[in-house]
Amino acid sequence: MATCIKVKDVRYHYPGGQEALRGINFTVSEGEYLLICGANGSGKSTIGYLFNGLIPHFFSGIFSGTVEIFGMDTRKKGISELIPRVGLVLQNADAQLFNSCVEDELAFGLESLGLSGMQIEKKIHETADLLHIDHLLKRPPDRLSGGEKRMAGIASILCMSPAILILDEPYANLDGSGISRVRECLRKIHRAGLTVVVIEQRVNSFLEDVSRCLVVDRGKILFDGIASHAGNILVSQGLIPRYPERNKIKSFTTALPGAAGKTLLSVRNLSYRIDGKKILNDVSFDIFRGQAVALLGKNGSGKTTLIKHLNGLYRAKHGEIQFNGHSIAGKTPAQIATMIGLSFQNPNDQFFKSRVEDELRIGLQMVQKEPKEWLEKIGRLFQLQDLLGRSPFRLSEGEKKRVAISSILAMQPEMIVLDEPSAGQDGRSKQMLAIMLCKLIHEGFTTIFVTHDIEFARAVADRWIVLDRGQIAGNGPPESFERIESLI
Amino acid sequence: MKPLDPRTKLLIGMVIITAVFIAGHPVSLFCQLGIILSAVFIFKMSVPFFRSLKLIIPMVGLVFLISWISFDRYSALLLCVRLFNLLASSFLVFQFIRPEDLAAGLRKMKIPFGFVFMLTTAVRFVPLMQNKIRSIREAQMSRGIDLRLKLKNVKNFMAMLGPLLLQSFVLADELAVAMEVRGYGRKNRSFRKDYRLGFSDYIIMVAAVGALVIFIRWETGW
Repeated sequence: MATCIKVKDVRYHYPGGQEALRGINFTVSEGEYLLICGANGSGKSTIGYLFNGLIPHFFSGIFSGTVEIFGMDTRKKGISELIPRVGLVLQNADAQLFNSCVEDELAFGLESLGLSGMQIEKKIHETADLLHIDHLLKRPPDRLSGGEKRMAGIASILCMSPAILILDEPYANLDGSGISRVRECLRKIHRAGLTVVVIEQRVNSFLEDVSRCLVVDRGKILFDGIASHAGNILVSQGLIPRYPERNKIKSFTTALPGAAGKTLLSVRNLSYRIDGKKILNDVSFDIFRGQAVALLGKNGSGKTTLIKHLNGLYRAKHGEIQFNGHSIAGKTPAQIATMIGLSFQNPNDQFFKSRVEDELRIGLQMVQKEPKEWLEKIGRLFQLQDLLGRSPFRLSEGEKKRVAISSILAMQPEMIVLDEPSAGQDGRSKQMLAIMLCKLIHEGFTTIFVTHDIEFARAVADRWIVLDRGQIAGNGPPESFERIESLI
Repeated sequence: MKPLDPRTKLLIGMVIITAVFIAGHPVSLFCQLGIILSAVFIFKMSVPFFRSLKLIIPMVGLVFLISWISFDRYSALLLCVRLFNLLASSFLVFQFIRPEDLAAGLRKMKIPFGFVFMLTTAVRFVPLMQNKIRSIREAQMSRGIDLRLKLKNVKNFMAMLGPLLLQSFVLADELAVAMEVRGYGRKNRSFRKDYRLGFSDYIIMVAAVGALVIFIRWETGW
C-alpha cells in the first residue's frame, strides 16, 4: 500500500504555550485504520491539525519538521488545497454544525468545492444513504441527539469525498447506542476503502476495529504498532482505567454526616413534561443514607431532568420529593444547595474566579459558612493543595472536574449529585475520581451520579437505577442487571 | 409550482415590515393587527409565536407605560399596537425565510459572502447560546449562587457573565476551525440551488410593491 501520510521530525509549540509535539515520526498507508490515543493534553488532537494544514497555516506557533499528504508538503500547500484530500471531523459537534439543517451542512462543504447544483444533490443523497441519515436531512442541528449530531458531522465531511478521514474524539458525550452507531459507521467507511484516523481516549472498543495504534504521551509517540499489542502500555499510561476494589479504599475523615441506612431522599410519582412531551413518567424511588447510586439510561431517557428536580432547578408539578422527611417544594436551589449539592458535566460552566481557592469558597460565601477545616479536608481528598493558587481555566480536564466537585462539597451537603463525572476524562483521571468518590462514600456521604460509563458505575456504585423513556426500567444492585447494554 | 426565489421572499418581507412601520392611522393599525394574528393561526405558528410573546410583551408594556406618562393613554395604546405589529410581523417574516434562503438571496444581490455567513451563523447560534446560558445559570444556582432577577443579586451575575464570555470565545475559535475544514477560505464557491427569478416572482414582486404604494397613498393622503 502506498504511503498517504508522512510525518517527519515534527515539533510544535502553540503560541505562548508549552511544546505540544516533541519530535514525532510516523507514516500511514492508504486504507489503514489508525487509532491515535493518549491522555488529555498529550498532544493527540494537535497531531490531527497537522494533516490538513491547520498547523502551520491556521494555528500560528513554532512549527518544524515536515508533513506530507500524498507527497504534498503541507507547509507549501494551503488548507483549501488539502481539504479535498483530508477531512477532519471535530470533537465539538456544536461548532462543526453551523447551518440551519443537516442537508445544508452537507451542502456547505460541497459549495466550497465549487460543485454544480446537481452534483451537490447527488453527493448529499449518496452520503445520507451510506450513513442512513436520510431522515435527519431536514432537521436543525439543535434538534439532534448527541449520536445524530456526530453522524451529521461525519457526513458533512465525508460528502466532500476525502481520501483520508480524521476524527477527533468521535465518542465524546455519546451514550452506548450512539457509540455503537458511530463505530459501525466508521467500520463501513473503512471497508469502503478510505484511510481512517481516529483520535480517541476511550480506546477499549476501537482496539478491536483498528489495524494499528499510536500511543502519544507529552508530545512523543510511545508506541506504534498492532493494536492488540498495545494493551500493557495503555494500562501503564492510564488510558484503560484500573479501578480498585471499594473495600480496599481507606477513608479520609471520621466525620460522618449522619446515621447510615435511613431514608434520605424520597421521590414519589414524579412526572414532568416539556412542550407536551413526557420526559418523566411516574418515577418513584428512595435513596438511603450512605448509598452510592448510579443513574443509568440512554441519552434522552430523563436522567438529567430527574436530577434537576432534586435541587429545585425544576419544580415537581406532579409528584413529590422529600429530603430527610421534609418536602423540598418551595425551597430555592440556593437553599437546597446546602443539603443536596449538584455538579454538572461541564466544569467550565462554573468557573469565574481567577484562583481555585476562590472558586471553592464562592458557595460558602453564599450560604455564609466558613468551615476552614472542612475545606482543608476536601483539598486533601481531591489533591487540590498544589492547585489552590492556580487559575481554574488553566487546569487539565481531570483537575477541573475535581475542583468543580469540591466546590459543591465545600457547602457540606448531605448528598451530592454528579452529572456524568467521568465524561471527557482520560483513564487515569477516571481512576483517581473513582477512588476519591469511594472515599467519600465510605464516610457515609450519599452520592447519586448520572453516567453512561458502565465500568465507572461498577467501580463506584452499590445500586443502579436505570431510566428508559422517562420510567424506571430497573432498580437494584449492579449484579442484578443482566443485559444492561441494551438499556444504556 | 416553483418555490419563490429568496429575493422575492426578502422583498415581500421588506414590504410587510415597511407597511407596518409607516402605518399610523388607527384603522390601519388594528387591521394589520388582525391580519398578523390571523396569519399566526392560519400558518399554525401559534406555539412559537406565543413563546416569543415572552420577549415582546414586556417591551411593549414598558413602551405603553412611558408613553402614557409622556403623552396620554390613547397615544400610548396606538404606539403599543404599532410596536407589537412591527415585532410580530418581523417574527412572521423570519419564520418564512430560512437563514440559508436569506443568505442565498443576499449573495445573489452581490453582498460579500463573509458578511452573509456572519449573519446566518448568528441566527443559527441563537438556540445554542440560549442552551449555554441556561446550563451556566443552572450550574451556578446549584452551588448556592442566587441568580433571580433582584437588585441584591446584581453582583452575582458576574458568575454567569464570566463563563459565558469565556465559552463564547472558545466556541468562536472552534467555529473558525470548523469553517476552515469545510473550505470556507476557498474561492469560487458554487450555489447548491440555481436561483433564477421566474415569471411568478416578477408578478408577486410587482404586486407587493404596488400594494405598498397604494397603502402609502391611502395612509398619507399623498
